[in-house]
Amino acid sequence: MNLIACVKQVPDTEAQIKVKADGSGIEEAGIKWVMNPYDEFGVEEALRLKEKAGGTVTVVSVGPARAMETIRTALAMGAEKGVHITDLDNADAFATASALAAAIKEIPFDLVFCGQRAIDDDSAQVGSILAELLGVPQVTIVTKLEVADNKIKAVKPIEGAQLLIEASMPCVVTAQKGLNEPRYASLPGIMKAKKKPVDVKKAADYGISADFKANVAKMMPPPSRPPGKIIQGDDPAVKAAELVKLLREEAKVI
Amino acid sequence: MAEKFASERNIKFLLYEVFDVASLLQYPYYSEHSVEMFDIITDTSMKIGRDLLKPCLMEMDKEPPEFANGTVKVHPVVRTFMQECGEGGWISSIAPFESGGQQLPHMIDFIPRFIFAAANYSASVYPMLTTEAALLIESFGSEELKNTYVPNMFAGKWQGTMALTEPQAGSSLADIATTAEATDKGYYKMRGQKIFISGSEHNGVDNVVQLLLARIKGAPAGVRGISLFVVPNKRFDEQGTLVPNDVNVTGIYHKLGYKGCPICQLSLGEEDDCRGYLVGEPNKGLGYMFQMMNAARIGIGLGAAAIGSAAYYASLEYSRERPQGRRSTEKDPTIPQVPIIEHADVKRMLLFERAVVEGALSFLMQCSKYSDLKMVLTGEEKEKNALLLDLLTPVAKSYPSEMCVWSVSQGLQCLGGYGYCDEFPLEQYYRDVRIHPIHEGTTGIHGITLLGRNVSIQNGKAFQLYLEEINRAIREAEGFAELKDYASELKDATAKLEKTTSCLLSIAKEKGQDVFLADATLYLELFGIVSIAWQWLLQAIAATRALRNQLTEEDVLFYEGKIYTFRYFFGYELVKIEGLVKRLSRTDGLTVDMKQEHFFDGM
Repeated sequence: MNLIACVKQVPDTEAQIKVKADGSGIEEAGIKWVMNPYDEFGVEEALRLKEKAGGTVTVVSVGPARAMETIRTALAMGAEKGVHITDLDNADAFATASALAAAIKEIPFDLVFCGQRAIDDDSAQVGSILAELLGVPQVTIVTKLEVADNKIKAVKPIEGAQLLIEASMPCVVTAQKGLNEPRYASLPGIMKAKKKPVDVKKAADYGISADFKANVAKMMPPPSRPPGKIIQGDDPAVKAAELVKLLREEAKVI
Repeated sequence: MAEKFASERNIKFLLYEVFDVASLLQYPYYSEHSVEMFDIITDTSMKIGRDLLKPCLMEMDKEPPEFANGTVKVHPVVRTFMQECGEGGWISSIAPFESGGQQLPHMIDFIPRFIFAAANYSASVYPMLTTEAALLIESFGSEELKNTYVPNMFAGKWQGTMALTEPQAGSSLADIATTAEATDKGYYKMRGQKIFISGSEHNGVDNVVQLLLARIKGAPAGVRGISLFVVPNKRFDEQGTLVPNDVNVTGIYHKLGYKGCPICQLSLGEEDDCRGYLVGEPNKGLGYMFQMMNAARIGIGLGAAAIGSAAYYASLEYSRERPQGRRSTEKDPTIPQVPIIEHADVKRMLLFERAVVEGALSFLMQCSKYSDLKMVLTGEEKEKNALLLDLLTPVAKSYPSEMCVWSVSQGLQCLGGYGYCDEFPLEQYYRDVRIHPIHEGTTGIHGITLLGRNVSIQNGKAFQLYLEEINRAIREAEGFAELKDYASELKDATAKLEKTTSCLLSIAKEKGQDVFLADATLYLELFGIVSIAWQWLLQAIAATRALRNQLTEEDVLFYEGKIYTFRYFFGYELVKIEGLVKRLSRTDGLTVDMKQEHFFDGM
């Protein structure tokens, strides 16, 4: 089976994020970069399928030079090869998906994994656009997956229920927490990763321009939380009444 | 609860900017590695520490191992972690490729060990002990022993231990009494008692392999009659199934800290059916064991520095968040209080922690670099690095162990009353770290080793090499205007150490061994302070050099922080040698002369 896992390098969930003064993005200095956690579920699922049914796992990433470490991490976990498209800084979801699609079209593929969204921009669009561009079915936010007879059966939780969705292969699956527990890279895996091939590409190699359909106009830190209010007084009944009044009239929550 | 327990930034600073680990890649033995891989190793270690080990830190303390029905039940994470360390290749990391290892440089191998120990010291001990025991079999065992034991140990399925101590033979290994009786079947029959053996039985693995010192019947008395044996808790029978080997746990100790790892009492051969397998030649056991012990001693120093690191970050986080008091110049009681880190005295405590922890880690990395150079160089250069490692091992064990007790204590102090309560991890770190001046040779033993043996190795050759190493750093620092004064302070301190050493060596001749060694622990303390000052000078050189480049704001703060901590060490710690030098030069033999009866002060 030819398995593809798309990975994005994002700031560590525990990194302290500072927005640049001019609002053009975040301050990157001093940030620790990691593989997007949802993409990690995708990589792990691809590796498990390969271990069960045979095949190869190719990791594809759109990101600056530093994203190579994330590709190597996936290779250290057990993927066979990588494709790195390096010159699409701040690409929107469409450009990212276009680059991924162009790279993936050059490789035979049965199943493509993406994280259900990236934890940095939270757009949750790349997987879907990618499926459209590849012209294959997509199943998003998957927590359980079975593959048999050139078909997938995927479980997708929705409000109050779960859907069991069947789709023909090739297709795109976006991974949700719960799909699996990603493994840690092993030392032998890390040693081998160094020698595994990674194709470094430019967007132009695929005829993709850096003229994005959507651009971030401005990035702003969330507004700081207004200070709390302490209701003064001795009589609990009066204080409770005052609280109800404030919740209704000021906070407008009841 | 505090999240950060180790600094990747500091680790990378030491690896790449102070010790230039990349320079090891030029040697064929390490040429398969690359800096990119070292970064992934650091990254993966942090992930394992953060996601697998740290969440169980307090649980393993609150629910310590239980002894019942002859076995010891440990926290379930022990099995998960041992499997991870086996499958992930962490146990066999420094073993050569042909033995199934990854031939990792010692400097790099320190990183996962440090990170795991900072995340959860008790958990980190299981694989560490296994590595050291397996490497001992690799070095001196027969092919059969290697094939039977090493693969299972490297795989994390079997635990390794070092079984030395007996009720009557703790620091005094010469008095070991466990016996081994030769049979004609290739094994020895073992009988005796062992105490304080870490990880010597537990349900986190399928078997435990004790690397055990015993005396073959008829062997000479003292250390020349001690042999090394492999004694598994379970052995293979003729059908190849594991059966009990008459190694019996008679109890576990209830400890102050480091509670997640059981320390057992063992009774061997109660049914006259305990089989031991000789490692190497008879009566040479102690020499073999020293390979494991020396590695383990540096490991203990690393463990102490790791707990110190976790305590430092926990107290730093608290000090930044806890508002208390106002600046002394502020007279208005209605303005908000400042976080306690704004107070000079709290900064002093945090600086003390950082100076001790990062100074100790630097010194340990220095030692691991000697291990690596000893491995890859040949001839005189190889010997030089071996001598330096040998000389400095007691310091690498004892400075972090002794000083991190103080440093964690200061971390606890930053939290005031909360530091004393179990809502915060400081009280646990304080208890956990206290083992380190005790196990793998007490500080007293290491003082005697350093002064009584090591400084005189090859007529003081090792000590001279050490002085040359420091002088090289001093000469380099003299090239930086900002560091000149500090270089001269270290020069002065080193001269005092040298003078004190020769004064003490002449006392050995004049007044005998007892007076000579009476204050060996203080000599070790003096030696430790000078060594860490040397390490801070090396770090200051790297930081000063870096500050001359165009840097990001974060990097400027990091390097300036390093310079402040370096200045702190020289200004607050190095000065402490004055009292030590004064005491050590007064060789009046006070503690030798005083009789035990003088402690009598009535009922």
